[in-house]
Amino acid sequence: MIRARQFILGFILLLGMTSLAAANSSRLVADLSKSNIAITSGFHGTDLLLFGAVDGAVGDDILVVISGPPTDIAQRRKANRAGIWINVETNIWQKVPSLYTILATSPIDKITSPETLTSLAIGTNNIGLKIAAETPVAGQPKPTASEFITALQANMASINLWPDQTGNVTLTENALFRAEVKLPANILSGTYIVRVLQFRNGVAIGEDITNLYINKGGLSAGIYNFAHDYSALYGIFAILFAVAAGWLAAAAFRRN
Amino acid sequence: MHRTALYATPDSQIGFIFFWVFPDPPFCVKFTFLMLASMYIYLPIAEISMHIGIIIGLGGGVGFLSGLFGVGGGFLMTPLLIFFGIPPAVAVATEANQIVASSVSGVLAHMRRGNVDFKMGGILLLGGVIGSSLGVMLFTTLREMGQIDLVIKLSYVVFLGIIGFLMLLESVRTILRTRRPGGRKTKLHQHNWLHGLPLKMRFRRSKLYISALLPLAIGAFVGVLAAIMGVGGGFIMVPAMIYLLGMPTSVVVGTSLFQIIFVTANVTFLQSVQTQTVDFMLAGLLLFGAVIGAQFGTRASALLRGEQLRGLLALMVLAVCIKLGFDLALRPDDLFSVELLK
Repeated sequence: MIRARQFILGFILLLGMTSLAAANSSRLVADLSKSNIAITSGFHGTDLLLFGAVDGAVGDDILVVISGPPTDIAQRRKANRAGIWINVETNIWQKVPSLYTILATSPIDKITSPETLTSLAIGTNNIGLKIAAETPVAGQPKPTASEFITALQANMASINLWPDQTGNVTLTENALFRAEVKLPANILSGTYIVRVLQFRNGVAIGEDITNLYINKGGLSAGIYNFAHDYSALYGIFAILFAVAAGWLAAAAFRRN
Repeated sequence: MHRTALYATPDSQIGFIFFWVFPDPPFCVKFTFLMLASMYIYLPIAEISMHIGIIIGLGGGVGFLSGLFGVGGGFLMTPLLIFFGIPPAVAVATEANQIVASSVSGVLAHMRRGNVDFKMGGILLLGGVIGSSLGVMLFTTLREMGQIDLVIKLSYVVFLGIIGFLMLLESVRTILRTRRPGGRKTKLHQHNWLHGLPLKMRFRRSKLYISALLPLAIGAFVGVLAAIMGVGGGFIMVPAMIYLLGMPTSVVVGTSLFQIIFVTANVTFLQSVQTQTVDFMLAGLLLFGAVIGAQFGTRASALLRGEQLRGLLALMVLAVCIKLGFDLALRPDDLFSVELLK
């Protein structure tokens, strides 16, 4: 009897735990078709596939956030001085993502509330943008910090690094999801963090994080490393190459 | 703003226009087009991807003009590279590297004809090395201050404006004079107070006995410009040699090219060490185009007369000047710009 009671108790406990788990966190696994990408001489942006499986229900949403290696950005503002437009102000934004892309199954404002996005640090408004250093301009109405943030978002969008348009994620049978990720040609090398979140009724119930490594490769990496590690030698080599090329060109000219 | 220019013509847009004009091309045409449309090359130092046809085309086009007019072409190439999305610092340093090559190929022909005054060239290049070293330092400081774009553009507007205007004036005068018979003859050069400075030296090939300080100062001044503007400086050096030093025209171009080799080599070296902005791959591809373009340019130059050529060159110089001037004076679409610092 005691053993039977223990068994029933255990079974109820187990049942309770699994249903609790189902309510609060869900099983979510995501992966990328390529996790290492080389920036070679032929590099002109890249496409890759993000895919995965989720323990989902009808009406669930999948949201993917890709953020590039942090970088410092110098933001400059022009103003008219003596008839010409010159940079009068510089703000340095420290450690901001060099790429920020959001992909989702629905428009992001239909998935969850702005408050939830803030608490999850999703979106360029919620990544704690801070101005590190600035050169103040005397006698100049000071634009507000939000003006600088809006301008930064617009500038980064125009060079395709923080695109406004969110891409699409397809969720099939509430179980399998896939998304085409397009990375532009001007991305930086480094580690990219891919966050995949599952939302149900506006609440994040599952999350998986994978990394994407982008490195310079091939001839392009060779030249870059040469230029940075042995810069004096690189300079001499560039000069010698130019002299030789000029000589060759002159020889070709003379024959004609 | 610079990098957005690159996205104005992505391969998809070119493809869209092409297949709209030719909806159903034969397979071989389609294949060739798609292959050409995908020939992008990633420039390792500029860190952008650019169509290989654009780079070689730029080299070829500027090479043609430099062959046609007998100029280095740096003053055209650097603004064009910036326009096509190459960061200004990379454009200036890479162009210096390319000018080394074009000056070497140019100077060899002049050396064979004995049109290089090595003594004068030596003094000029001494000044040039000092000036260009200062110029690279100035360049680095301005770049850190975020004002390098402005200084590059302002220097272009000022110098191209002056030189273009003077050249146009001179060529129009010559054209008018040749139309009238019995034109007035001028002296080779006038002596003025500049020739009375100390440290006098004899330059046999230039048939001059002048102060060494003068070519030293000219060399230094042009050296600063070479470093900041990404040019050889021939367009300033040549008139300065003729009008300030009073050198005979026959040795001017050869001597100017001779010293440009060393000044631009110095800029290439210093930029490589200090800013790592010399893009070897970009320079090589530009060079390839420029060598071919220059051949055609030289042949085409035989079809035009000297003063007509100078007049055309003056118009082109003024066009670049006006374009850059408008860029500075008109309100930009976006007052903000970003630069990724690494």
